[in-house]
Amino acid sequence: MIKFESISHSYKNKNVVDNLNLQIEANKLTCLLGSSGSGKTTILRLIAGLEIPQSGNIFIDKKLVTENEKLIVPPNKRNIGFIFQDLALWPHFTVYKNIAFGLTERKEKDIDKTVFKILEYFGLKEHADKYPHQLSGGQKQLVAISRSLVLKPKILLMDEPLANLDVKLKRKILDHIKNLKENFNLTIIYVTHDHKEAFTIADKIIVIENGKIEADGTREQIKNSKNEFVKYFLEY
Amino acid sequence: MNNNIKFINFFNGHKFFAAVYLFFFLFIILPVFYIFANTFLFDNSLVSNIKQLDKNTFLLLLNSSIVAFVVSLFATFIGSVLGFLLYKTNLKYKGFFKILFLIPLLISPYILAVAWKDFFSVFFQNAKIISSYFGVVLVQVFIYTPLAMIIVGNAFTNIDAHLEESGLLITNVKDVILKIELPLIKPAIFSSFVLIFIFTISGFSVPAFFGIRVFTTEIFTQFSAFYNHSLAILQSFLLVAVCVFLLLTESKYISNASFLSVGSKGTNKKLFPSNNTHILFLTIWFLISVILPFITLVVQSFSKGTSDIIKAFDLLESAVGNSIGFALLASALIVIVGFVAAYYSNTQTKSSSNFFDWSLLIVFTIPSIVFGIALIKFYNRVVFNFIYSGYAIIVIAYVGKFSFIASKIIGNAIKQIPQSLDEAAQIEGISFYSRIKNILLPLILPGIFASFIIGFIFSFGELGTTIMVYPPGKEIMPIKVFTIMANAPLALTSSMTLIVLSVTIFMIAILYSVSKIFMKNYGFYND
Repeated sequence: MIKFESISHSYKNKNVVDNLNLQIEANKLTCLLGSSGSGKTTILRLIAGLEIPQSGNIFIDKKLVTENEKLIVPPNKRNIGFIFQDLALWPHFTVYKNIAFGLTERKEKDIDKTVFKILEYFGLKEHADKYPHQLSGGQKQLVAISRSLVLKPKILLMDEPLANLDVKLKRKILDHIKNLKENFNLTIIYVTHDHKEAFTIADKIIVIENGKIEADGTREQIKNSKNEFVKYFLEY
Repeated sequence: MNNNIKFINFFNGHKFFAAVYLFFFLFIILPVFYIFANTFLFDNSLVSNIKQLDKNTFLLLLNSSIVAFVVSLFATFIGSVLGFLLYKTNLKYKGFFKILFLIPLLISPYILAVAWKDFFSVFFQNAKIISSYFGVVLVQVFIYTPLAMIIVGNAFTNIDAHLEESGLLITNVKDVILKIELPLIKPAIFSSFVLIFIFTISGFSVPAFFGIRVFTTEIFTQFSAFYNHSLAILQSFLLVAVCVFLLLTESKYISNASFLSVGSKGTNKKLFPSNNTHILFLTIWFLISVILPFITLVVQSFSKGTSDIIKAFDLLESAVGNSIGFALLASALIVIVGFVAAYYSNTQTKSSSNFFDWSLLIVFTIPSIVFGIALIKFYNRVVFNFIYSGYAIIVIAYVGKFSFIASKIIGNAIKQIPQSLDEAAQIEGISFYSRIKNILLPLILPGIFASFIIGFIFSFGELGTTIMVYPPGKEIMPIKVFTIMANAPLALTSSMTLIVLSVTIFMIAILYSVSKIFMKNYGFYND
């Protein structure tokens, strides 16, 4: 589904992703697990097309989307949704408008119906007229997910979306995320530094360090990995 | 990808931005390049002019630098104290003081000069004391202290309370202020000093009004009295070099330091307790810097009843509409140019955006009168007659002079918007112009309005460039006042100045109200 071929990317002469080869399967929830600065967010941004690598090719559904420094398919044509770490809810739009904005721009029909359907799914209907600052952390989270899902993406990229939530809310949102894959027929790539989160929801885990893959596999395979870094990382 | 290609690609994709850039380059940058190229490459008298850059020239430059240094030192010091009291303490009525303290910065420098000359004439029966270097320093300290207050005050606001609180656990308030806060705001203090230095050394109207010989008045004399244009430009090149050197030093010292940031919001603000001494200090400063000069202006204007005011109004009547109209048009263009420059410099790679940034900066640092000379020399030809002999040259002058300030204000506003808000829209397939219109502009609306109002105020009171470029017979308020000033009785000058001041304050109030209504109507959200 998503394939990286020898991808290298650097910021200010610091290699963030180093000759990375990676494959992510369709309709699975894959976790990119790693410490801060390991390059996992950059991988997500490369998939989205928000970053262009210095070298290497990226394929989505066997289609070449980035070839070396050339962006072949722009972010908006990749059929992806992106949940940013800060959620990136537009503060001057209501919940309704945050969700409807993309549909309006795409000149979709039945926008009201579509928006309220997703709001109902996440139990947000009564908050439609509120502004993001009037919502709780968990509600904001669900609005961000709704905003992405309403455009029917095939891939959902999530960049540490639960970083600022308490344990109780985390559990609730993680349950939602687990259901998304089936209910919306999605491929989800979930970035986190928290191995507990990864073990809770992932079908597959890829451990990243210094822009390279240290280990990949199912939850069990990662738990039992002999890789020194993985063992060290999972200790904490 | 090569940065130059990225630069071209960016403008290929965004035609409106390209048009704005082209406008700025053709109408504003080209005349400046032309005049420098002409002086250095084609003027046969270059060698003899260079010989004229003798010891006296450099002594005069040193002299002007000392004046600028003293002004910057006092203004930054007092401004920092005011900034601390108004932005970092729980003082009552600080909102009121913050607005009123800005008045000297928001009005034309020559208005304050007139007011202070009046004050010394009325109360000491002697204007000679003020018509000196002392006067030049005093008036400019009053003008630029509010600038330091905003810059340093905003820097104080942006300090995270946790840094202070962790300091308070181990030491007292005084030490926290001196050892934690001051080092953190050092870049802002330095920024303020450099900016005030540049404003002062390239300022023309205050020393010209007091008849004090500084470097800018010397350039004006060379151009207007001796018609030695090449020497005037050569001298101004020295001034530009000093300003650019200072700005380079500043940017090296503080990359990305925010200055003139309007409406920036710090997180976790901590306010220190205030006391009566603070209120006393603020009240005294308020009386001296704001109330005193303006009461003097009013007293002087009405010293012979209403006759001077009526006469002044008759003299200015025809110029009011023109001045307001040009300033409004110019400020709209200033906002557009400032926005394009700010957007480009905040979203594109640094090296490729340098040219636009530097172009704005160079025009900003060039002394007003030299910029005026550049525009005259470039546009004084048949093909550009529609610009030269009309009002267009005045609007071009304003846009050239003040777009840099707008780009910095808007740039600071853009910096405060998380990149992810635009990226989220990008991923949703929202077009470039729709993202600008629906996401970015509403979020930076306060910055846009601040730029518009500041652009208006500066354009409305601009004298240095306008005095060079205004077409004969055309009526502009500052020019009217300045030309009459030399021969008219002080009471008439004061009356005219009072009218200009009243119109300025009236327009600020109108624009501020309109901006408030506009922001409310467009659903601007401000937490």
